[in-house]
Amino acid sequence: MLQEYMILSIILFCIGVVGLISRRNIIVIYMSIELLLNAVNLSLVAISADMADASAQVMSIIIIAIAASEAALFMSLFVVLFKKKSSLDANIFDMLGSKR
Amino acid sequence: MQNEIIFAILALLTIVSSIVMISAHRPIDSALAFIVALICIAALFGLVNATFMFVVQIIIYAGAILSLILFIIMFLNIKDENLPDEKNKNWWLLGTSFIVAPFGLILIDLIIRSDITINRVPAEGFGNIKDVGLTLFSKWVLPFELVSILLLVALVGAVTLAKRES
Amino acid sequence: MSDSLILNILLLSPLLSATLIFLLNISISGVKQYIYTSLALAGSGISALLALYLSYFSYFENQVFTSHLFTWLSIEDFIVEVALKADALSSFMILFIAPVSFLIHVYASGYMNKDKSYGRFFAYFNLFIFFMFLLVLADNPIIMFIGWEGVGLTSYALIGFYFEDIKNTYAGNKAFIANRVGDFGFLSALMLLFLEIGSGGMSFDAILSNIGQIEAPMLSLIAFLLFVGAMGKSAQIPLFVWLPDAMAGPTPVSALIHAATMVTAGVYMVARFAPLYNLTFDVSLFIAYIGAFSALFAAIVATRQFDIKKILAYSTMSQLGFMFMALGVGAYSTALFHMFTHAFFKALLFMGAGAIIVAFHHKQDIRELRGIKESMPALFVMILIATLTISAIPPLSAFFSKDAIMSALYASGHAPLFLMAFTASLLTVFYMFRLVFVVFYSNTKQVGEANSKSMLYPMTVLTIFSIFAGLLNMPEIFGGNLNMSNWLDIADKKFIVTHFDELMLMSINTLAIIGVIFYTYKRYAYTNTIDKESEHTLVANKFYIDEIYSAVVVKPLYALSILFDKHISNNLIDNTIHNLALYYEKLGLLFSGFENGNVRNYALYMLVGAVSGFIYLYVLLRAAL
Repeated sequence: MLQEYMILSIILFCIGVVGLISRRNIIVIYMSIELLLNAVNLSLVAISADMADASAQVMSIIIIAIAASEAALFMSLFVVLFKKKSSLDANIFDMLGSKR
Repeated sequence: MQNEIIFAILALLTIVSSIVMISAHRPIDSALAFIVALICIAALFGLVNATFMFVVQIIIYAGAILSLILFIIMFLNIKDENLPDEKNKNWWLLGTSFIVAPFGLILIDLIIRSDITINRVPAEGFGNIKDVGLTLFSKWVLPFELVSILLLVALVGAVTLAKRES
Repeated sequence: MSDSLILNILLLSPLLSATLIFLLNISISGVKQYIYTSLALAGSGISALLALYLSYFSYFENQVFTSHLFTWLSIEDFIVEVALKADALSSFMILFIAPVSFLIHVYASGYMNKDKSYGRFFAYFNLFIFFMFLLVLADNPIIMFIGWEGVGLTSYALIGFYFEDIKNTYAGNKAFIANRVGDFGFLSALMLLFLEIGSGGMSFDAILSNIGQIEAPMLSLIAFLLFVGAMGKSAQIPLFVWLPDAMAGPTPVSALIHAATMVTAGVYMVARFAPLYNLTFDVSLFIAYIGAFSALFAAIVATRQFDIKKILAYSTMSQLGFMFMALGVGAYSTALFHMFTHAFFKALLFMGAGAIIVAFHHKQDIRELRGIKESMPALFVMILIATLTISAIPPLSAFFSKDAIMSALYASGHAPLFLMAFTASLLTVFYMFRLVFVVFYSNTKQVGEANSKSMLYPMTVLTIFSIFAGLLNMPEIFGGNLNMSNWLDIADKKFIVTHFDELMLMSINTLAIIGVIFYTYKRYAYTNTIDKESEHTLVANKFYIDEIYSAVVVKPLYALSILFDKHISNNLIDNTIHNLALYYEKLGLLFSGFENGNVRNYALYMLVGAVSGFIYLYVLLRAAL
């Protein structure tokens, strides 16, 4: 059972990466990040079941907690950015770069 | 055998809904597809007797976080003209997939070829709230406390971010 | 007080006062003039007192003062010590440098009165004498070179002091550049000395005791290069061109530079290396002839000058020529003795000229300054005494020094040298009395402003010195015992002149001089001869030396510089560098496209990198799996 779970986890992770890179909508980007975390959680739980040890489940609980705090920050960011530019386009928010 | 069939259905559903999530044009569609994926993952947790994780996944992810996303989408009142103009979205998806594909394929290849399964028989009550709780408060107390501080910091950060603009 | 402390204070007090004046001048506007005056006089006065103290002990007790300040460089066996040493020669030098400098400071406080750059002037002035002290007190030629360069630098600043007029700046440039040519010679000589005997130490003592190890041709080259340095500083042919133009500075500057300090540096240096020149007869003879030609040339040119300061400038060059003649034939202490007397009477002459210039509102042409005897009798007496001194009338000081040079030249057996010196000395009498008769003995009358006391008192002191300084080195024939030569203890060549010959020489000389004075009186006093003299003759135009230098040296160099500037510098070097920079900029633009601030793209680059690494690892480890 573990191998199948791992393969599924890998597939979900790859889908998350594809979404993260190719989409410009910041809400979708956020959800892609959550998908990455979920893929990891899935593999952790599978390993926990295989080893009959609850520690890996505790790890994924902590990951969920971190995902929750991340969600709070992302939501307030959405609000601020949308108020500022009235757009959800990630390409607009490129103040990090050296514009010429 | 029964478990394998359920797993196959759930896995297929997860993958499909994930793909829908990353390729949908409007964020509301993405969010709904993501709820499906999350619930499927919760069911997959249940399939390996991780009952507490099953509950947590549904309550926190599908319940709290996703409803927060939906709330924000509604709150911002996003119209179509606010959405980014992603004409080449499908090409982007395809191209990125080609880049990521080797990574995934190699990992899968490695997983299949290596023998990682231990198949230890779990004790009675494995994965229920008592088992996980005991582990959490005995072996993992320090990370638990750290996470509580992190949550506090995130809370304060979120409030300041949202407040400064007004 | 310890010996080294005295030496240090003597050296550093002008530097300290220069620094204070400079800081005051740049930081506070409207500082009272007397503050600058007292600072400047304190700086040079302390040095003058200490210099007298130092030379007293050096003269009577043969004491050598040394001071080791710090070690500047220590690279294996190349060790440069910043050390001072006042042996007999250095003590002798500061004996006249410091007091004369002090007197000129007093004089300058009157001359520069109410000048708007009063503070700046005294900052330069004190800095100048600091470098001069460094030059004569240095224990090794490297420290001496620092003083040498510093004197050149500050003289540049002083000559171009009134920089508002571009001509003055050009004069300063000219002095600096001509001196650079000399410095090149000095520096090359130092390098050669280091290559040959540097391992034995670079102090004067070590060098002079080791020169025997150098082969003769190399020794000659070193001696010649050192003399090139002396040529520049002491204004000898062919590097004299800066000296007449240096008159652009205020008159106290001329008095300081041309009488007691900067121009004497070359003479001092040759005397310092006397043992070296004793080994190289050909170079010594060359020095003597250069001196003779310079003396004669300057004397001839001076006879047709009309600017009172220019006449004195050529006279300085001429007198320096006498000194180099004496150095060349090996009569070092005689040359130094003449330098000693020259410092007093030449400073006096310049101060007198400055006093006249101030009194008559910066008129410098002797044709416009006629008949001023009645309005300034004190000045007249002092200038007359100085003129009689430079003409070598007994028993004034220069009589003894010039006579000593004459008898040394006579005894050395170089007839052309002696004849040239004799002619030059008669011409000296002629042009100096021409100046005196034209300015003071005239039918017309002029009345100028009275000079301030701070200008007249130093001149009085110098007049007394001019009269009596000769007593220091009274020759045997008058019952003296050559005190100064014995004190200096330089490796002089001994010339034996019978008393009869010497008396004959003196009588002929004196008679000839009196004859020339009489002739000059006839020609210039109460006549208009001076107005008939043309300004456009060969002599009045200094034999067109400046123009020849301009055509032969300056113009071709200028053309070459333009060539290099336009073609080599602009086209070749600048364009190459510019294009290289442009290329890098384009390359940078190419890569800066990747850094567009879009975090998604950054993630993509990361992904591409990670995936490539992953594939590589997989291919590498495939066999093991």
